[in-house]
Amino acid sequence: MYFRYILRRLGQTVIVLFFISILAFALIRIAPGNPARMMLPDTATEEQVHAKEMEMGLDKPLYIQYIKYIGGVLRGDLGTSASYQTSVGSIIADRFPATLLLTAATILVSLLISIPIGIIAGIRQGSMVDFLAMLFALIGQSMSTVWLAVMMIYIFSVKLNLLPALGMGGIKYLILPAITLGYPLAAQVTRMGRSGMIDVLREDYITATLAKGIPESRVYTKYAFKNALIPIVTVVGLQVGYFLGGAVVVETIFSWSGVGQLANQAVGNRDYALVQSLLLVIAAGFALVNLIVDLINAKIDPRITLE
Amino acid sequence: MERKLIFKRMVKSKFFMTGFLVAVFVVIISILSPLLANFDPTANALVDRLKSPGIAGHILGTDQLGRDIFSRLLMGSRYSLLIALVVVSLAAVIGTFLGLVSGYFGGRTDTLIMRISEIFLSIPQLILAIAIMAMLGTSVFNLVMVLVITSWTQYCKLARNNVLVQKNMDFVHASQVMGAGNMHIMLTQIFPNITTPLLITISQQFGMIIMVEASLSFLGLGIQQPTPSWGNMIADGRTYLTTAPWMVIAPGVALMITVLAFNFLGDGLRDVFDPKRT
Amino acid sequence: MEEKLLEIKNLRVRFVTERATADALNGVNLTIRKGESLGLVGESGAGKTTTALASLKLLPRGGQMLDGEIYFKGKDVMRMSKRELLDMRGHRISMIFQNPLTSLNPVFTVGEQIGMVLRQHKGLNKKQADEEAMRLLETVGIAGYRLNDYPNQFSGGMRQRVGIAAGIACNPELLIADEPTTALDVTIQAQILELMKRLQKEYSTSLLMITHNLGIISELCEKVAVMYAGRIIEYGTVREVFSDPRHPYTRGLLGALPKLEGDRDRLTAIPGTVANAQHLPEGCRFHPRCEHCTEECKKQQPEMVQVKEEHFVECFRGGKFDG
Repeated sequence: MYFRYILRRLGQTVIVLFFISILAFALIRIAPGNPARMMLPDTATEEQVHAKEMEMGLDKPLYIQYIKYIGGVLRGDLGTSASYQTSVGSIIADRFPATLLLTAATILVSLLISIPIGIIAGIRQGSMVDFLAMLFALIGQSMSTVWLAVMMIYIFSVKLNLLPALGMGGIKYLILPAITLGYPLAAQVTRMGRSGMIDVLREDYITATLAKGIPESRVYTKYAFKNALIPIVTVVGLQVGYFLGGAVVVETIFSWSGVGQLANQAVGNRDYALVQSLLLVIAAGFALVNLIVDLINAKIDPRITLE
Repeated sequence: MERKLIFKRMVKSKFFMTGFLVAVFVVIISILSPLLANFDPTANALVDRLKSPGIAGHILGTDQLGRDIFSRLLMGSRYSLLIALVVVSLAAVIGTFLGLVSGYFGGRTDTLIMRISEIFLSIPQLILAIAIMAMLGTSVFNLVMVLVITSWTQYCKLARNNVLVQKNMDFVHASQVMGAGNMHIMLTQIFPNITTPLLITISQQFGMIIMVEASLSFLGLGIQQPTPSWGNMIADGRTYLTTAPWMVIAPGVALMITVLAFNFLGDGLRDVFDPKRT
Repeated sequence: MEEKLLEIKNLRVRFVTERATADALNGVNLTIRKGESLGLVGESGAGKTTTALASLKLLPRGGQMLDGEIYFKGKDVMRMSKRELLDMRGHRISMIFQNPLTSLNPVFTVGEQIGMVLRQHKGLNKKQADEEAMRLLETVGIAGYRLNDYPNQFSGGMRQRVGIAAGIACNPELLIADEPTTALDVTIQAQILELMKRLQKEYSTSLLMITHNLGIISELCEKVAVMYAGRIIEYGTVREVFSDPRHPYTRGLLGALPKLEGDRDRLTAIPGTVANAQHLPEGCRFHPRCEHCTEECKKQQPEMVQVKEEHFVECFRGGKFDG
């Protein structure tokens, strides 16, 4: 059952990736101006532009152009960056580990903090703890990444001189960007954990479990917890999209040389080949995260695979 | 639900009342901003650059070009709120309509609309917005368009899910039997039932759009200088964080309070209309 | 007389919600003795389930116990220590719920949901619990290998069998069955009843059968308590009460059943609607619907009176209605 679900879900992911590639392909072509010129540095000569036009097949129908494009992508050829003068693939590969470190660490820490807070708030609905948790969540949801990042630097670097504001290095460098990036995610997860727990605790099967003489503490931490985890995992999947957008801002502000900062630089440098490929790579990463999230969810909730 | 109960809950809900009052306050301030601003928000005065708050009539100080921050803040609020208003209205109308059609007619129409919305959902909103803005170039029109393109799916999903529930209800069948047209049924029978979740989503999206717009403006892809926006004011101030922190704090606090107000409002609404609440 | 297993005295429960206050139980007195099977009958909203949940100290959110005492084997349930309470729930008393579609946790296997009782109360390890759960599944007519299946892989009737298997797992002294067949198809109902009858003989536990189906009571129970608007209004042996119902409400309930044999009388319905727990009438709660209502009935709550050796009724006229 689970295996068949994996296959089905993999198939859906391939379709999504196909659509993303079409969008990335279209991106260069909806822009005003000559697509070939856009893929080249401003200093390119007429001959170079002409050669690029031939390479992209601009004289051929759109579907041929797409096949040429996707063929290159599948072979790992993402084109040449106009500003870096090297292959786009290698630039992205260089920057990728930094982003992976930042995002993975941030997601992990914010889940470890927010899931317990949300669950406890749900159990103690209406209490002071609940109110504070909701406040924590609502403020987090309303915190613009831009503002939070600058404030973090102002308080912890400029005023208190506790943590470095810019650059990469040891764990000290990771703290501020991770808090900035993780707070909105933690806020959403807290809310979901809370409302999920409240909903679950209203269910008959929880009363039934309590009627079996299972201690409340175990009902909360084991039985109701597993049910409450389903909406939490789902919201993590949805939030990762917002989260990756936040990474662009956070990496830019904290000079974290990852993919997000690269995206901002590429836009500034009008390096369209790079922008196009970054869109493709980030969207593909997002699709992959959603795939993983769904597989985890299906593992928790057997109803998903039984449908 | 009974009107009296809703009103009782509204008054009792701290989140709703706070959000509602602050949101109304922010909107009024922004409407009245030309009357309240005591300086020209775009006029440079290099002699007055980086003045601390309170000096020479600059309530919140001046920026690196000597422009009055208070006046820029007020003018920026007009842009932020107006853009959010236009984007949310357009996205809500388009998304809800497509969602209604998709859920009501089903079949191929549904598949097509759902596939399109899936594509947009499969790309992180800000990333897509950045890519499109980079390609099309920056302008307020492009900004609004990009924000609509990246947010209509929220309403579409919401409307569709609700239609699927409502579609098979007896009152809809009854209308169909009586020969009412599809459009008529959609607008008079189904739509009224989704106004509550729609209102909650609109309120939350309002805050969300303000934040995304701020991020884009911060990255230089939204509202362009010298027109003030909270996002580009924070970007300006970032460089002067050590010497003139007010340049960042003023727009940041304004941004936070506004978004918080709309989120409180949306949350309060959800609470007030919660059918499961006893 | 056998030992008293569960004794409920003057139990009053109120539910307070934002919209209204509802008096669910208004002085319930009920005793179940060892080895006895008691049917608790009444319309929806009469307070049957609330009585059962209160006995386990599991009133849902918003429910307050205003007054009364509940004793399990002489021990005050409200004053039990945490350990005593946990030992009572699931071990000494177990409960089967009304809706098998909602009373099994969808994200745990049925084996886990039976096994958790065994691990909690019998101290079995995972493997032993699995083996025992498998045996219990076979007992209720489900193949043991389905231990690792999830509730969604079973039909409603099968799920109720799982619920019953978990209910009898620890061989409880009292089994509370809260309308165990109401949510099921008629044919499935009969199967579940057969199963319960069989298990009742095998395990010789006491049974509190909550239902609105009089047929089930006559099949499974010796005693019957009739509930109306949060009070027990008639109590006695099934034979007594069914052959000679004294309370006008009980008469109405029995009169609303078609007879298969003998003279076909006209079916009688009870006039009016069930008392609203938010606005209970003064005096006898049934008086607005009672054709024998007197002035006294409107003002005062009648006491329970004994009409025969094992037959009690809560009515001023003791169930004597001439003319």
